[in-house]
Amino acid sequence: MSAVAPTETITGQVAGVTPGLKRRRAGVPRAAKHLRSNRTAYLMIAPMVILLSIFVVWPLIYAIYLSFFKISFYKGSEFVGLQYYMFVLQDPKFWNSLLIGIEFAAMVVPIGMVISLLLASFIKVLSKRLASFMKVTVYVPAVISTVVASVLFVFMYQDQGVVNWFLSLLNAGPVAWLNNPGTALPAIAVPAIWLGLGITTLIMLAGLLDIPNSYYESAELDGAGFFKRTFYITIPLLKNILLYLFVTGFTAAIQMLDLPLIMTNGGPVNATTTPNLFIFNSFRAATPYATSFSLTTALLLFVALGLISVLVFRLINSDKAVDG
Amino acid sequence: MSTLTETNPLTEATTLSAAAVPSAARGLRRGDRNRLLKIIGVVLITLSLLFPLAWMAIAGFKGKTEVLRSPFQFFPDMWNPQNYIDIIQDPVFSRAMLVTFGGALIFTALSIAINSMAAYALARLDFAFKRFWWVFCILPMFVPGMAILLTSFVVVSQLGMLDTLAVLIIPGAASAVQMFFLRQFYLNMPVAVEEAALIDGATRWQIFTKIFVPQSAAVFVVVGIGSYMAYWNAYVWPVLTISNPDLTQIMQFLGNFRSDRGPQWGLLMAGSTLAALPTIVLLLFFQRYIVDGVRISGIK
Repeated sequence: MSAVAPTETITGQVAGVTPGLKRRRAGVPRAAKHLRSNRTAYLMIAPMVILLSIFVVWPLIYAIYLSFFKISFYKGSEFVGLQYYMFVLQDPKFWNSLLIGIEFAAMVVPIGMVISLLLASFIKVLSKRLASFMKVTVYVPAVISTVVASVLFVFMYQDQGVVNWFLSLLNAGPVAWLNNPGTALPAIAVPAIWLGLGITTLIMLAGLLDIPNSYYESAELDGAGFFKRTFYITIPLLKNILLYLFVTGFTAAIQMLDLPLIMTNGGPVNATTTPNLFIFNSFRAATPYATSFSLTTALLLFVALGLISVLVFRLINSDKAVDG
Repeated sequence: MSTLTETNPLTEATTLSAAAVPSAARGLRRGDRNRLLKIIGVVLITLSLLFPLAWMAIAGFKGKTEVLRSPFQFFPDMWNPQNYIDIIQDPVFSRAMLVTFGGALIFTALSIAINSMAAYALARLDFAFKRFWWVFCILPMFVPGMAILLTSFVVVSQLGMLDTLAVLIIPGAASAVQMFFLRQFYLNMPVAVEEAALIDGATRWQIFTKIFVPQSAAVFVVVGIGSYMAYWNAYVWPVLTISNPDLTQIMQFLGNFRSDRGPQWGLLMAGSTLAALPTIVLLLFFQRYIVDGVRISGIK
């Protein structure tokens, strides 16, 4: 109860403190510097630090170790240097999977972003009630699991399924979507776009709402249509958000595992073997050194994608990002 | 024929927009016409975005021979809930739903506790080597799951955690992303409250539990739903670590359904509908928090 009383007595001050705080939000609040609370602080971060050490940091170190050593049950481990890295880099299947990952991301991310931008622009002009309804609607696919989306779309892509029925209305098809190397990857991209729309749209909408309406009004007076306004006002002012969404979307799409794993398991003829599926399948393959090989692949991918993420994260948190 | 035009939501809506708008618009003011167009847009978008889910639920009502029948049929001859009854009465399915639900609740509570404590300490306390621990806690955000998936598997099997509920709950409970999100929230809480409480002799722990936690309801809902969904929707990790049928997770059950039981589409769609329901209900129940959550997530 003693904790409640002071909150009430100082509410008057709170309002005065807040604006100053906001300016320094990235820094450490100045609260009671003279009081170092080592014991409390260490007890409070201990569970987090211990769990991250056992289940993230240690596995990562272990993975790096395994990628440099040949492990055998009979002899001690033997240092092999970059040998596994050479194996991976010389494996055409690795490069093929990387290409498929990029191709997949190139389908999912731009299409998803264009649809999201259109949806966000539409939601922005709606009345408050319609807008809040639409925000929830757009978000519903985002809470669906990739497994449910996978089995659902496999069902929809069946020969007598609903997608081929739509085609038959146009006097086309039926297409064996998932059994045809040419159509399998786009067929997997569709649920990926569907699942990703919600978050992208809501983030874009938050950005759109920050753009002063007066910009649009004066553009409208000058006779700029929707596309002109989008290209000359929205996109330049959303530059940072769009860049962020593009890069996070791209790294996430390249790492897609669940959808191809369940929908096609990489087939037909490896047309949908994304990098992570390649890693996952080579881990499960009963070849010698499968573990070392697959985790070396994973590390290579991690270094590339991790660098991109760190760069973007720094960019977003830098001052450049304050005004788009 | 009449069933066809009636049942295809896309054609239905387009004919509506083509026929209804011009005739109605003539008599209306411009604002009303705009409003009508917007409502039509909302209906069209809603129908097309939610169509796959509706289709899944409808397929659950179809009989074995109806579900992929040629010629195509949109709605079932008779709305028969048999698939839903069968799948609920299937002991493996209902156990998977319950076990996953229970696990998800424990997981959510545990991760809120762990992440919010660390977030508070890193946002509000001053302690030795703080900068180092901050980097230590935030770096895992950049480690993709796949890079550590295989060695994590080795670690949990060496710890003897395979085939236990613990392997599903503990490894993922500490989350750098969620900690970051919570810290961002705590950084923005006014300092004055804390100072006043300190003067009154409250300890840091009391300040956290009595002032910060009660004010965190909204942000806990956002991160909690994130944790819940991460657990409920997980597939690869349970597939690797769980082989005991008593602990089968719901997505594991659905993902392996076709290879385990063959193409019983009606049953699978009924099961998927039921498995998708909890997260959708959560979304509808907490919609305000989630939609706002995107805005306060620090991205924007």
